[in-house]
Amino acid sequence: MQVTELTKRYDGKTVVDCVSFSIPKGKVISLIGPNGAGKSTVMGMISRLIAHDSGLVDFEGKDIGKWKSRELSKRLAILTQTNNIQMKLTVRELVTFGRFPYSGSRVTPEDQKIIDRAIAYMELEEFQDQFIDELSGGQRQRALIAMVIAQDTEYVLLDEPTNNLDIYHATNMMKIVRRLCDELGKTVILVLHEINYAAFYSDYICAFKDGKIAKFGTVKEVMTKENLSQIYQVDFELLDIQGKPLSIYY
Amino acid sequence: MNLTAVRANRKKLLIMTCLVLLCAAAYLLVEVQFDNARLFQYAMKIRTPKLIVMLITAFAIGGASIVFQSIINNTIVTPCLLGMNSLYTLIHTAVVFFAGSSSVIAASANLSFAVDVVLMGITATLIYSWIFKKTRHNVLYVLLVGTVLTSFFSSIQTTLTRVMDPNEYDSLLNTLVASFSNINSEIILFVLLLLGLIVFALRKELALLDVLTLGKEQAINLGVDYDRCIRRLLLGVTLCIAVATAMVGPISFLGLIIANLSRQLLKTYRHSQLILGSALFGMIVLVGGQLIVEHVYSYAVPVSVFITVGGGLYFLYLLLTRKKV
Repeated sequence: MQVTELTKRYDGKTVVDCVSFSIPKGKVISLIGPNGAGKSTVMGMISRLIAHDSGLVDFEGKDIGKWKSRELSKRLAILTQTNNIQMKLTVRELVTFGRFPYSGSRVTPEDQKIIDRAIAYMELEEFQDQFIDELSGGQRQRALIAMVIAQDTEYVLLDEPTNNLDIYHATNMMKIVRRLCDELGKTVILVLHEINYAAFYSDYICAFKDGKIAKFGTVKEVMTKENLSQIYQVDFELLDIQGKPLSIYY
Repeated sequence: MNLTAVRANRKKLLIMTCLVLLCAAAYLLVEVQFDNARLFQYAMKIRTPKLIVMLITAFAIGGASIVFQSIINNTIVTPCLLGMNSLYTLIHTAVVFFAGSSSVIAASANLSFAVDVVLMGITATLIYSWIFKKTRHNVLYVLLVGTVLTSFFSSIQTTLTRVMDPNEYDSLLNTLVASFSNINSEIILFVLLLLGLIVFALRKELALLDVLTLGKEQAINLGVDYDRCIRRLLLGVTLCIAVATAMVGPISFLGLIIANLSRQLLKTYRHSQLILGSALFGMIVLVGGQLIVEHVYSYAVPVSVFITVGGGLYFLYLLLTRKKV
């Protein structure tokens, strides 16, 4: 995936300004940055949820707007923060929707197998017949991830997947992200607020500031004292834990 | 797992179909004199079109309400709460006001129906699609604007009736209360054809309803052309409501009652079942209600009054008992 000079304006205010980067395949890429830096907007644009004003999002050799939505949904999945599903839906039924791009409403036995595997992968077997509005936040998030797994796409985009989760569930979520990449070979792009999660679990970090890319590179390249203080305008100390640069800010 | 739920729902729907058939049979046959062939025929001639009109209305309003709720992702909103009924009342009054009750447009049933449908269809589509676009489908705003519009339309309508000739007003009033009598077979045929066309034109979008209820982002993620789909469905809903209202007059709360009863009973996300359930509930309410009105209250109170009173209470109940999301 190649992004060239991507720009977005809201009411004359430029929120994303001429952003260009390319996404390495089969890696975990975290988008970080302060509030309002434009990372979620970029995520929206590379997943076709938000239309871009100018620039190009080249996905597998074709502009993202030129893809047929149905075809694209077999290659790229996005999970946003807003998931207020009003319907009475069981976990299994939700995961079944992941097969919609392939089979529509008619679920084949082959689909059933994929759904079973996705549910097992997320360890949701015991919950699969429960309604999702009866689940806890962490379980619901896992159910949504299971749906994304059933969608069976090369690219998985997650917008703040650890939002509203406690430390235990948030850490588990990040481990799942790592497994999606390592075991299932997916390219995972996520928007994160916790820089230490980004540092510990991703391969590349793309740091935004004021609608522009402040720094893009491997974790080691981006996670330096100077870079972080410049991006977030606070003082940082870096520690080396298990070979990963983790930060303390105050 | 979900297969058993699907089967249980099929059973419920089957029972409801039986109830509808029972109501319909009772409606046709209660207090009919079987021994006199001519009286029997006369009764059938009066009752059959009314029954058909009620069934069509139930289907149009029931289906449209469910679809509307799913699009807007909220189960306490119905098209009627957005002022579509008062829009109809206004349009109908305006036609009589400007053309006169003795003019061709108002006097001929077919023509007056056609004028109502066309005017209502166009204005409702323009107004509501604009509102939805402006408020970005924000339910609270839409509801608020709808409430304001309701009083806005009613005020204009009241003003018109105040300056109107009393005789004209008298003849107008009869057509402003929902009624299932005096609808000729040409209109029934036309409505059936129109509804059939709407359902046919929207068959692809209707199949996507299940996915649409996951929300905009999820629907797009799963490869649905969201904006186009919503636009077409809203147009269909507006047309269905316009046709039903122009045919029988405004019935407040009917859609709200039957759509929610259907959701409560079936507890599913499958729209094929929800729409069917809602339509069947509508048929039971309308035919059963009309049966009671005709034979217990001997026409003293129109059925729409019962529906409005009952619906109002039910609406309060829904608002007060709704779980926090």
